[in-house]
Amino acid sequence: MKSLFFPVLLAALLAGCSGTPSKVASIEDRSVTATETKFVADKPLVETMGKPPDATSTSSSLPLPAAGRSGVAVETRGLVAPSTDVMGLAEAKAAEAAAKAADTGATAKSGGVQDAAILPYSGGMNQADMKDPASLLSKRRVQFDYDSAAIRDEFHAMLEAHAKYMKTNSSARAILQGNTDERGSREYNLALGQRRAESVFKALNLLGVPEGQMEAVSMGEEKPLSEGHDEAAWQQNRRTEILYQGE
Amino acid sequence: MTIEIVGGATNRIPIAILPFLVAPELASGTSDPALVVAGDLGRSGYFKLLDTSTVSGLPADPESLPLAPWKALGADAVVVGQIKPQGSERVEVRFWLFDPVRQTRLSALSYTTTRAGLRGVAHRISDAVHQALLGEPGAYGGRIAYIVKHHGHYELQVADADSQNAVTVTSSPEPLISPAWSPDGRRLAYVSFEDKKPVVYVQNLADGYRRAVAKFRGSNSAPAWSPDGRRLAVALSKDETSQIYSLDLLTGDATRLTQGGALDTEPEFSPDGLWLYFTSDRGGSPQIYRESLSTGKVNRVTFEGNYNVSPALSPDGRTLAFIHRRDSQFHVAVMDLNNHQLQVLTDSTQDESPSFAGNGRVLLYATMVQGRGVLATVSIDGKIRQRLSQGGDLREPAWGR
Repeated sequence: MKSLFFPVLLAALLAGCSGTPSKVASIEDRSVTATETKFVADKPLVETMGKPPDATSTSSSLPLPAAGRSGVAVETRGLVAPSTDVMGLAEAKAAEAAAKAADTGATAKSGGVQDAAILPYSGGMNQADMKDPASLLSKRRVQFDYDSAAIRDEFHAMLEAHAKYMKTNSSARAILQGNTDERGSREYNLALGQRRAESVFKALNLLGVPEGQMEAVSMGEEKPLSEGHDEAAWQQNRRTEILYQGE
Repeated sequence: MTIEIVGGATNRIPIAILPFLVAPELASGTSDPALVVAGDLGRSGYFKLLDTSTVSGLPADPESLPLAPWKALGADAVVVGQIKPQGSERVEVRFWLFDPVRQTRLSALSYTTTRAGLRGVAHRISDAVHQALLGEPGAYGGRIAYIVKHHGHYELQVADADSQNAVTVTSSPEPLISPAWSPDGRRLAYVSFEDKKPVVYVQNLADGYRRAVAKFRGSNSAPAWSPDGRRLAVALSKDETSQIYSLDLLTGDATRLTQGGALDTEPEFSPDGLWLYFTSDRGGSPQIYRESLSTGKVNRVTFEGNYNVSPALSPDGRTLAFIHRRDSQFHVAVMDLNNHQLQVLTDSTQDESPSFAGNGRVLLYATMVQGRGVLATVSIDGKIRQRLSQGGDLREPAWGR
């Protein structure tokens, strides 16, 4: 029985992994343990991970993020390590003599997916001027010099316009995202970007915007405007972006 | 993923790794661990693999392997092994390491595992061979975590230390950075930008469940595990621009660890849990400092140059690895914490995120080659280097158990 059963199981596994990706196979890939399904680095889960759930199949045990709630679908999957015991060869032989068959294989667990939580940045407001290129409110970027969080004079008028807008619209909420260029440590750049965000936060606060209407955060070097690797690109990337609720 | 070796030891040990004897009932679908062992030892830079095809005739019992032909071939060591089924689910792997010159057995071990665990066993055999022949632990087992950026999408992947068996554990359209292994290797902390700002998550590897552990007002980043796995040191901006806090993972309480208006980030606990190393610009330029967690007293650790960041401590706590900027270029450097001697290990120019292997002898880091992110390793004497690359940009590596 065993000798028959195993090749069948193996064939089924292989078909599930390498065959044409049927609906069933793609769902099973998610819940199977990592040790049973080999993902080679060159053609891993990359393609299948981002796919929306198959609406027709109900067999998946994974609750996928509700589409439209956050717009950011983050998925996770479980990974079970094989269990391995080691001993000296002499002991192994003794154990063998005892003829004890240990049959505790790695157990499969289904991967969990949690909804991507998001700040409550949804809600309407009068945005007519936000999109009007003639309005200072359409300008959202404060650019910085190298190694500096000082706001240059050229951005004062634009910050005054945003301050005025937020003061007259007390329900308006803004997130201020500081950014750096790509050079150096990502985490240190994250801290530097925070300084740039807070510099805009303080400027707006001095212009009368209550602290509760704003949040200063940093994207570090992770969200470059320009993907280039020269001074022109770096200059563009050193900035703070003003994002309003709902955007 | 492909691996390329740069440099290597001057005197490599000639070693013969024979194909393992696989029981007939396992023959189909079982890959030979000898191939994995040969890959590990060959890439390490410490060994010279000998062509084993010229010596014919493997005995049915590997233990009685005639050693004379291998001595004649110039081998200083011979690895031989066998695989047998054990019950219906598991297999037993045995291996022997012989010294054909002295006609002695240097090591013999047995492993029972599942078929899926065979690669892992092969890495442990590599570790045992390395230990027996070089007198120090190898770094072939263990796993690495890293981020891949591919077509504007971000994936947190976990792979074996030889970069095989890569699995995506988290996938996001927004950036992911700073993965950190829990001391028991069961959880990963990392930073995700999916909420328009950095938030620290902790994820179970077994079931993929994750939760946001630091999501305070402002930015939350740079997670580092305490040696007991109960706390995370994190950089938060909730009170001041960037300060370091200790986060109790059970209660969620955040206790502030650093003070003052400077930027403090990149915390790292010493393995004994007595010190917190971190990056700070309190002296004008980013440097590495350490704080006594009992007294709160802080002293500066790095003095050479005006940019020293991303501290990582060796498992014995004696060596500090970090990124050192020299002539506008970023290199991996190490410092002996006893004599404060600094040694630059790399000649690449955009190195980031150094992380020690479990044996403390190898560092894993990220660098750029022709505009693309790759991972690389370097031995702490700077002599042996490897490069790991695949499609997409690789970055933010962390070596775990």
